[in-house]
Formats: sequence, C-alpha cells, structure tokens
Amino acid sequence: MIKQNILKLLPVVIILALFLSGCTEKIDLKLGGTYTRLVVDGCITTDTIAHSVKLTTTSDFFNNEPSPTVSGALVSITDGTRVFPLTEDPLNPGVYKTDPTVFGQPGKTYTLSIQLANEINGYSAYEAYCYLNPVSKMDSISVVYMDSWELWEIQCWAYDPPQTNFYMFNIFKNNILMTDTINKVMVTDDRLFNGSYTNGAGIGYLRKDFSREKVFPGDTIKAQIAGITQDYMKFITQVQIESGYKNPLISGPPANIMGNINNGAIGFFSAYSVKYCTTIVK
Amino acid sequence: MKKIIPILILLVFLIDFHGFAGNPTVKSITVSGKITDKSTGEVLLGANVFVKELKSGTVTNPYGFYSISLPPGKYNFSYSYIGYEAYEKAIDLQSNITINIELAPKQQVLKEVVVTGKKTSENVDKNEMSVVKMDIRTIRQIPALMGEVDIIKAIQLLPGVQTTSEGSTGFSVRGGSPDQNLIQLDEATVYNASHLMGFFSVFNNDAIKDVKLYKGDIPPSYGGRLSSLLDVRMKEGNTKKFTATGGIGTISSRLTLEGPIDKDRVSYIISGRRTYADLFLRLSSNKDLRDNTLYFYDLNGKINFTVDENNRLFVSAYTGRDVFKNTDFKMSWGNKTATIRWNHLFSKRLFSNFTLIRSKFDYGLGIPAGRADSFKWTSILDDYSARVDFSFYPDPKNTVKFGLSTTYHQFSPGSAKGLGESSFFNEYNLPQSNALEHAVYAGNEQTLTHKLSVKYGLRLCMFQNIGRGVIYHFDKNYESIDSTVYSRGKVFHTYLDWEPRLAFTYLLDSTSSVKASYSRTVQYIHLASNSASGNPLDVWFPSSPNVQPQVGNQFSLGYFRNFLQNTLETSVEVYYKKNLHAIDFKDHAELLLNPKLEGELRFGTAESYGFELFVKIQKERFNGWVSYTLSSSTRKIPEINNGKAYRSPYDKPHNISIVMNYVISKRTSFGANWVFASGAPVTFPTGRAIIGNKVVPVYSDRNAYRMPTYHRLDLSITLKGKEKPGRKWQGEWNFSVYNAYARKNAWVINFVPDANDANTYYAEKTYLFSFIPAITYNFHF
Repeated sequence: MIKQNILKLLPVVIILALFLSGCTEKIDLKLGGTYTRLVVDGCITTDTIAHSVKLTTTSDFFNNEPSPTVSGALVSITDGTRVFPLTEDPLNPGVYKTDPTVFGQPGKTYTLSIQLANEINGYSAYEAYCYLNPVSKMDSISVVYMDSWELWEIQCWAYDPPQTNFYMFNIFKNNILMTDTINKVMVTDDRLFNGSYTNGAGIGYLRKDFSREKVFPGDTIKAQIAGITQDYMKFITQVQIESGYKNPLISGPPANIMGNINNGAIGFFSAYSVKYCTTIVK
Repeated sequence: MKKIIPILILLVFLIDFHGFAGNPTVKSITVSGKITDKSTGEVLLGANVFVKELKSGTVTNPYGFYSISLPPGKYNFSYSYIGYEAYEKAIDLQSNITINIELAPKQQVLKEVVVTGKKTSENVDKNEMSVVKMDIRTIRQIPALMGEVDIIKAIQLLPGVQTTSEGSTGFSVRGGSPDQNLIQLDEATVYNASHLMGFFSVFNNDAIKDVKLYKGDIPPSYGGRLSSLLDVRMKEGNTKKFTATGGIGTISSRLTLEGPIDKDRVSYIISGRRTYADLFLRLSSNKDLRDNTLYFYDLNGKINFTVDENNRLFVSAYTGRDVFKNTDFKMSWGNKTATIRWNHLFSKRLFSNFTLIRSKFDYGLGIPAGRADSFKWTSILDDYSARVDFSFYPDPKNTVKFGLSTTYHQFSPGSAKGLGESSFFNEYNLPQSNALEHAVYAGNEQTLTHKLSVKYGLRLCMFQNIGRGVIYHFDKNYESIDSTVYSRGKVFHTYLDWEPRLAFTYLLDSTSSVKASYSRTVQYIHLASNSASGNPLDVWFPSSPNVQPQVGNQFSLGYFRNFLQNTLETSVEVYYKKNLHAIDFKDHAELLLNPKLEGELRFGTAESYGFELFVKIQKERFNGWVSYTLSSSTRKIPEINNGKAYRSPYDKPHNISIVMNYVISKRTSFGANWVFASGAPVTFPTGRAIIGNKVVPVYSDRNAYRMPTYHRLDLSITLKGKEKPGRKWQGEWNFSVYNAYARKNAWVINFVPDANDANTYYAEKTYLFSFIPAITYNFHF
C-alpha cells in the first residue's frame, strides 16, 4: 500500500514543484493495428452465485466501440472432481454463467476450459487454472472523510495471519458496487504488515467529486475482502498501471499485461475467497 | 591484487625505459611549477607550457602543476591559457628550477564578455578526442530554463549528448544510459545530480571552475562507468582578496564568498544556493498549497592550503538537499560529498596526489506519524574511497601517469517502518550489500614525432562483494529458489577485468589532424530506475554472482581542422560502441523495495554508432557553436521484445544544437540557442482489450514508435551596470526566455477515455514549458 500511496502522491509533488505551465492537448495520432487475440475475464468465488466468464476479442486501439463478443463457445469450470458447465447468457452475448448454486471452496484449484466455435489466432481450445486461497475476516470497518484529498477513506480493522497473503478490496454503497471498474479496486500484499493488526488501514476511497460515490449519513457501506493469488494481484496492478495515466517521472516502459490464459489469450481467470463487513455512516 | 601489482610495476618501467631510450646518457634538468590566475590565485588547469626551441611542451595538470625536463641550455618558454595574456620567459637551464607563473586575464575592451585570448590550435594538435571542456563563463552565456545557469544543460548542447526528457538534467552520451555517466565533483562521485525531479542540476555555477566531459577516450585513471566521465572542479577560492558573487533569480538566490585566510597561501570559498518557491506558496490563498514546504539548496565549501613549495592541501565538501512536505506526506533527498586532497612533489618530476573521498546519496519519504499508514522509508548509498595518483614527467616527449584507487560501497537500498503507535506497518528491511572496487592503472602520453603522438594505458580493476550479504539464487525463469547468507567481512565474489585505452593523433599539417581512439570500460554498479527524467527513488545495485559487470568497447575516429587563425574550430567524429552484459528490466519490473531485484534484470547487448559534427567559432564579438549528431542506439535482450533488437530509450537519430553569443556593446550582450532532436522512441498501443470494464492497451513492439520531433529556441540578453573607477560593485541583469516561440513539445503522450464514453479514447500530449521568461540579477564585488 505504501507504494501505491507514493505513486499517487508523486505527481502532486511534481506539480507543486514547478507550478508547471504544463498543459495537455488533444492530438491526432495514427496507430498501426494488430492481430486479434481472445480476451477472457472471469472468476469463481466462495459466494453462492452464478459465476461468470466473459469472452471477447481485442480490436484496434482506436476502435472506440465495445469489444466484439465471442458467442457459441463451450465453457466449463472444474475443481478436479466436479465440473460446472457455463451457459451463455441470452441477454448478454459473450457472457457465460454457472448455475446460481455454485460456490468455490478454499484449497482447491479451479480450471477454466474454453472450446471456441471458430478459432482465434490459430487456437480454438483455451485453458486457465487458479488456486482458491482462503481469507480471514475483517473485525470492523469505518468511513472517514479526508479533507485535504476530498474523499472518504474506508478503513479496516483486521488481523493479517502470519502466512504470506494477497488481498483485494471492493466497496459497496447501499449494495451497489462502487469499485465497478478494475482500476478502482485496491490490491496489496502483506509484506509490510505481515502477522499484525491493520489498525484502520485504508482499503478503499470514495470521491466527493463523483456524485455516484458521495457518502451521506445513513448510507450503508459494505467492504469485501478477497484472498487472491499473487499472480492475480500482479495482474490487477498491471492492468491499473497500463490503463492509467503515464508520467515519465515515475512510469516504467509500457508493457503488455500478463494473465494466466494459455495459447496467447489475454486476461485472467481468478478464484478467491470473499468475506464482508458492513457499517452505517453516521 | 597481488598478481596485478608486479605487472603494473613492470608496465611503468617499460614506459619509463622507453621514455629515456632516445637519449639515455644526457643529463636532463627539470623546470616545474604551477600556473595560476594573477587576479584570483586560482590554479589554471590545462594551461600550455611551450618550449620554442623544441616546438613542443606540456600542459598543467588539474592542480595547475607542470614539469618539463630538458638537457642543459638556453630556452624560451611561453606560458599561455585561453582568455589570458601569454607570458614569455627566457631560461638558462643549468640546474633544477621552480618557476611559478601568474597569468593575467586578458584586458579587453569587452572585458569578461568574450572569451578570447591566444587562439590555440589545441583542437587540432592535442592528443585528445571525444572530449569537450567548457569554461564556466561560456556556460553562463547560454540562455537557461528559469534563468538557472546549469552546467549539465550546457553539456546537453554538445554533439553526442542527448537530454533524456524535456528540461531534464539526465543525459545520455553516445546512446548510453544516464547511469553510465560518472559524474564527479572534485573527484567525489555524485550519484544523483538532479534537483526538483531532474529539472535542475546540483551544480551551483558560482562555485564551479571548470567542466570537462569525456565521451570516449577516458583516461586510464578513471573507470567504473561505460559511457562518459563528467569531471566538475570547484573553485579553490581567491588567494589575493576577498570577493563576493551572487545573484537573485526567478526561482533561487545564490551567494558565494571567497578570499584569502593567509594571502597567497590559504584561501577559502563558500557558496550557497536556495530556492524560494515555498515562500510564495505560503502567501497563497489556497490552503492546500499553503501547507506545503518545498525547496532545495546547495552548499559548497573548499579550503586550499599551500603548505610549502612541495605540499598543497585541499579540503572540499558539498551538500545539497530537496525537501518536500505537507501534512500528509514528506519526502527529501540529497547528496553529500567530501574530498581531502594532498598534492606532494616527490621530486620536480614526480607529482603525486593523495585523495580521500566520501560520497553519499540518500532519500527518505513517508507519511507523518498519527495515522494507520504512517511510515518512513529510507535508502542510503555510501562510498568511502582512497586514491593515489602519480604524474611523472621524464622528458618533454612523455608524461607517465599511474596510480591506484579503492572504494568501499555500502548499499542500503531500503528500509521501511511504521511510525507512531497507530501505524500498522511492521519494519521491513531490504538486505544491505557491500562491495569493494579497486583499480590500478598506468598510462603514457608520448610524442613520437612532430606529427604523431600516442597515448596508451591500462587499467586493471577488481570488484569484490563482501559480507554481510544475501545472494538469492534464481532458476532459468528468474524465480528465486533459495538464498545464501554471507557473514560480515567475508569476500564472497570477485570480478577482475582489464581496460586498455589507446589513442593516436596524426597532424596532417598545422591546421588539421586525424585522431583515433579505442577504449574498453567496465561498470560494476548499476541503476534501477523507472524514470526517464530523474526522480530521487534511485536504486543503485552492485554486480554480484547474478549480475555480471557491463563491459563497453568503443572505437572512435575523427578529423579535426581549424580555420581563420584557429578562430573557427571544426571536427568530425565517428564512433562505434558495443556493450556486453547490457542491463534492462523485464516487463512490469518491480524495482522498489524488492529484495529480489536481481530477478527483475535481463541481460543482453547494446550497440550504438554515430557521426558527430562540431563547428565552434570564437571571434572578438561573436562566439558559439553548431553541433550535429546522427546516431543509432539499440539493445538486444533475449527475454525482451521477443528477443528482437529494439531502440534504446535515448535513441534520437538527428540532433542539432546551435548556440551563439553576440556582444552588442560594451554593456550588452545577446545569447540564443536552438535545439532540434528527433522524437524519443516510445511504445504505443496498437490494440485494445476490455477487462474489468476498462480498456487495456495491447502494445506495439517495444519502442516501435517515436514521439513528435522536438525543437526549441531560447533567448537571453544581459545588461551590465556602468563601471566606474573606484566602484567595486558590478551588477548585471539577465533577461531570458525559454522556448521563445512557445512550441508545445510533447513530454508524454497518454491515451485518455472520453469523459462521456469509456470506450472512446483519444491521444493527449502533455507539454511542460512553453515560453518561460525569467529575470536574474547577478552581482560581484
């Protein structure tokens, strides 16, 4: 979390440092195209719900349309003994769902298998697997307004077990997911606080300048803690960096995100435990 | 080490014998001494001593010392230095003699504005190539960003030198990385030469005497970096009278005091600079701005003590720091260097210098106590060095230099801990590492005939990792398998390398020459940084069992020609460089707070070549230069870019700089410079994937695209106050404009979603400086 904090703060330093006459301007840029790859975005969690996997393809960068979806594929998830078939949602082409009674169990490795109707980039069969880590519970959460940043910080009290753990946090306001795009979720390892209490560490932020995120007294804030794998943590971090703003002072060279799907497909199939904690804003 | 010393001694003897071989029986007598500035007592380095009868001579070393040995007889000596009145002296040489010379700065009509003087043919006949020396007075004439005169920005206007990013003090020499430049201030390494995220350098021009950049042909006395040596020397302090120099600028103020403690024997200089942006912030009505503290400062000090004829002592120190803090965040970083030098003459022919050096770079950042995420993170790099250098002057045809050096490096890459009772952070320390770097060297500069001179030398160097240390072992996928802990003081790994250096100069006629050089350089400590500009979060790491030293080989060839009585100097150089064990970082490398940093490194080769044209003019009223560089620089690393060669980050094929200064009248001068460079290589997205409701780019090959072309014009005008007899105070106003035609040079190009449609993206450039005016007032008394 330290690192994320620093990376967020550095641009502030720079701007203050120079009263930069730095400005931005829209420019015209011609970019070449690239070949099509399959994109997989799916997960299975310990919640008992219909877990979904979305299949799309890449397109040219300035395509400026939703991604083309991939329909008619055979998709299934297995934990080694049982097989959960996924069926395509008739209302959402390219989205494949399990039965709503399915739940993942910590300690098992889940495998996603995809058989496409037509091959993409030379392959029609794709596979990915992910171990489902357990997660410990949060004792409590609280919501604190931070004046200087004009945002609400969701703080968490929890005990981090002595093993190496990787966490993802999602925030709901009145049961609506606020962290609805991948660049809003927070992920961290426990390298700097392994085996200790978190004492109200920030696990999510809601911004005042977004009407959707504004917090009022009486609102119910729910936090989800997820025990994820190291690979998934790295993947989310990479997605956040590559889809975010680049700054030559601190950004490394751009690089393609690295997922866990084979045969050159992009994306990640993840499995993780989730637990929840709720508070009502006073 | 034991094996090297006899080899070296042998080498020295060989050179020595060779030097005397021509005329071993004739007794020779030595003339030696030092050359200083008559008005300030500052020693003049690189001043010429010419013996008319021999049509040959020598130059002073960095301490102003010269020595020349001749058969008994009558000689006419001529002492000269650019910008100074030449001095001639007839000497009847019968016994060893010390002749100290004070040269007077040239009294011109346009005093101090124009750098003129005896037009030497040094450009053509000096056996030195790929080297540029810049006088601090020349540097001051160049229009500067926000009026802050900056030696590194001046260096960037020379052929073969590229700036790493807009306004940055980071520089790349002949395609190399910024960490391949050895930046030395009074022989102490400066690890991070930048302030304010790289926009200003740490060198306060009032305290600097002389700057020399070696782009190749690095003398054997220096090593440890592949690309270049930037040798910055501080002033010694006026030994004649007290003077003060200072300035009030747009972002900083400077004050330098210097003078004798004991006239002609002991002098001091103390120089400071501080920015005051934060003082304005405090006046701001915006509370967020008001609570910020932000500044940098530099402090240079030096004492120069002439003990007696044969002994001289210099103590110099530098400290500088950047500080940024507000209620939520604190960050500071800085360099400290200290050098103690003792010049000793063992004989009139054997000059020695003993040096002790300490150099330190550290940074710290954190969130102040009182919060759950309060923490403090510090990182320190500490060097202790000792070196001995000898210059031996057997006869006018040979100058032998030899010596040895050793450095103890201590790396503390990071230690983070929670602050205060409420913090939930544990202490987290990256393992420290330690290393010793030794070198012995010997070299000779020899005049073979009037037309041909050669320079040859060898540097042997050794690098040792010593405990306490942890070495992780990696499998072929760079996953760590296990680690070995070495106990304190144990040498657990050693690298031994040799670095030959060779150069020739052949005079075609009195105004033209051909020069060639070869050098091999080895680099043992490397920088991991994700920044193109120079942020302070530098992680320097040593070579180790996992990281082989980088090795560079460079060949250069040049043609040098002077025109118009040496007032127009031109040169053309071509070079080819091949580096082995070149380091780059894997995709998404984690460089900060990573104990297994070595697993993030990938190794391959780097290659660069180029053509450099330099035309320099020095007339009474007009001086300046034009430089053009055509170059290519690529890297090839099996695990990066699918093993295909890719452009190195500073590969800019075309680069032009035009710098000029025109003296309009006695009190007014005008300066201008124009720079043009091809856009830096960049990786752009060619495809997109949507993951988690977010468009994620799919990239082209690494560095397959280029940023838009960069160009910029800067202007300045300097108005001097009236000089009246008897008035000591001299003032001048400097008005400058950076980026006069306000070109919006792209600093970075981002791809940004439309505010209303998350699927629609457009390209957006950020530009930093368009039309930045500045005013500076400088004074001297």
